[in-house]
Amino acid sequence: MSLARLDRTFLRSTRLSPYLFIAPFFVVFGAFGIYPLIYALQLSFMRWRGAGEAHWVGAGNYLYLLTSPEFWASLGNSAVMWLLIVPIQVMAGLGGAVLLANAKLRLRGLFRVAFIAPFVTPLVAMAQVWIVVFDQDYGLVNYLLNLVGLPDVGWLTSTAWSKPTLALLFLWKTTGFAIIILLAGLQAVPGGVYEAAALDGASRWRQFWSITVPLVRRSMAFLVVVQTLAVFQMFAEPFVVTEGGPYGSTTTAGLYLYEHITASDLGTGAANSFLLVLLVFGLSLVSVRLLRPKDEVS
Amino acid sequence: MSTPLMNRRGFLKGALGVAAAGSLAACAPGGPSTQPSKLAAPTASASSVKGEITIWNRSGDLFKVFDAAIAKFREAYPNVTVNHQAVDIDAKLANTLISGTDVPDGSFWDDAKIGGQAEHLYDLTDLIAPYREQTAPYKLSVNTVDGKIYGVPWDLDPGLLWYREDILESAGVDPAGLATYDDLLAAARTVKEKDPTTRPIHMEKTPFLSQLWLEMLANQQGTSLTDAQGKLRLDSEEYRRIFGWIQNAVKDDLVTHAPYLEAADVKTLDSGQQVFVPWAIWWSFAPQQLLKATKGKWRAAPLPAWTPGGARSGAMGGSSFVIPAKAKNPELAWLLYEFLCFKEPGYTAVYGPNDVYPGGLSTSVPSFSPALDPAKPLFQPIEALGGQDLWKVAVEAAGTIPAAAPIPWWWAQSVDYLGNNVQRLIEGKMTPDQVISESAEKIQRNLIDRS
Repeated sequence: MSLARLDRTFLRSTRLSPYLFIAPFFVVFGAFGIYPLIYALQLSFMRWRGAGEAHWVGAGNYLYLLTSPEFWASLGNSAVMWLLIVPIQVMAGLGGAVLLANAKLRLRGLFRVAFIAPFVTPLVAMAQVWIVVFDQDYGLVNYLLNLVGLPDVGWLTSTAWSKPTLALLFLWKTTGFAIIILLAGLQAVPGGVYEAAALDGASRWRQFWSITVPLVRRSMAFLVVVQTLAVFQMFAEPFVVTEGGPYGSTTTAGLYLYEHITASDLGTGAANSFLLVLLVFGLSLVSVRLLRPKDEVS
Repeated sequence: MSTPLMNRRGFLKGALGVAAAGSLAACAPGGPSTQPSKLAAPTASASSVKGEITIWNRSGDLFKVFDAAIAKFREAYPNVTVNHQAVDIDAKLANTLISGTDVPDGSFWDDAKIGGQAEHLYDLTDLIAPYREQTAPYKLSVNTVDGKIYGVPWDLDPGLLWYREDILESAGVDPAGLATYDDLLAAARTVKEKDPTTRPIHMEKTPFLSQLWLEMLANQQGTSLTDAQGKLRLDSEEYRRIFGWIQNAVKDDLVTHAPYLEAADVKTLDSGQQVFVPWAIWWSFAPQQLLKATKGKWRAAPLPAWTPGGARSGAMGGSSFVIPAKAKNPELAWLLYEFLCFKEPGYTAVYGPNDVYPGGLSTSVPSFSPALDPAKPLFQPIEALGGQDLWKVAVEAAGTIPAAAPIPWWWAQSVDYLGNNVQRLIEGKMTPDQVISESAEKIQRNLIDRS
């Protein structure tokens, strides 16, 4: 009996073979999923600067964060960003999706490309454009304001305007993604529903509120959850454009977490990560619950 | 159908249990506390030393300058190959040191950041020892953590008073008479009386640089944010003096608050709105490269003193070279840095005339005193400063810089508190007492108490 045949026979004859077939997934998942998770969880109860001895501090890192005004300020900044981004994005995304779903729209292909282009453009390149366009002294936006007699605005240098300006960048970058998600949801709505409503005399506006919105609720819920995750993890935008300033007004939860890591305060960074996970998990559950279709609620 | 050896739930539970137990046991962060590795110099002769090293440096002109200087090093050590790389050091080095992956053999780094990563670096105390007496005390102190030296001291960045010679002349102000900071305020008032559109004194708008600037003014008075034991000394007469001076300048509308050499800064420097820039020697870059309208009209003088007869300069920034504890060829990296910092052909190659800077590198001076001879300039007089001999001014100012305490590892993080509050002071939103009390409380709670 050849060796290859012996191997095949062994695999067939033992009941371990199914487990051997799925083992590669578990090995990879364990190495890159479970192991870092456990490592980070353990780290969150320690004080360690990346070298030398790690000291067990129990819940010290968590207590420090939960009593830290800066931690809560970072969450507050992210919450404001969420308010500035997610509701507008859902509305704009839905509007864009309805527009692109209209087969009679001229230049529909061009619009599709235009909406999606910012989403596929590298963020850092766009952030640099934002810095130039919104520069207080030489930016295009203030130049246009000056033309109509309005004064300069510190778009990126005042605490009042820095968050809306960053939110605008985020909206510009990711609304194309929202349109894709909602367009997919919209295209799943059977055309016959609209025809029946039209025969019953429903106006386009009535069709939108009574058919489109209820039937894409599931897609909207998905979008809200995904964008909630993205907003609370937002890092690159404030890192590149404002470095968290002015006066910490754009230090988002993601950027605050990063600051622990660069300060080699790895334990606090890990604890911050787990607090964020809990928060985002809770927010996602609430979003899903609020936006789930009525038939599921009943 | 055969009966499984174990059911699926049992298998998964077992696998997860084994993974969790194994992970908890095996992946505990950290290791036993050990003494930092000490580096010993190679004993072989220059011609027999061989090997390859990877060196990280900042990109830009400085990279080109060091590239040329490394060519000189290779003439002295022909069998050493230097893989010189331009890297975003601020973004990459700390993470690389922590992860221990693809660590370079040596790297350029800000003095302010070395203390934060000392445990990942070689202890160079013994290697620096022969040069210690001839190295600027300030540079030794900022490279020292717990009595051990972790960086090869490279440049010294003396603070100078940059001023518009033509405007002072027309206002009847003698720059030689600017001996104290009160004199500077008086001169600024005189300039403003003559031209009310001026706001003669530059104050920095970025939190990081404004804190670096503050530390220059503190260093001039022989103090710094912490003492040698790491105790905060913000609540002190020296810092109160600085903050009071800033407040007075702001109240008298003598301040242009602009971000370092960004468009708004350049515009007001060139327009004559700014007349005095108390800043490090590296500001020399501005009249040479950026200020088109006022090129040739700027001059440098030592900083005014805080008290009559006090030190006429303080250090603002500066960089050194570090050798990571996980470097593959640390001895060769040391030979390179020893050559660049302490050997005449090395520091001459760095500071002397070269392809990048035909007149020499004039944005800092060496910290090694044999290189600091006022009569033997490494870089030439600067045309953009009206032919002024900046070397002489800088070297004499550098000679007065007091020693400092080691820079605490959390210095860069403290910008979120102190740097921001300095901005609020310049904007008139905080008093000196508020800056001191609020910054001290936050630095103590968030940084020192968590050290």
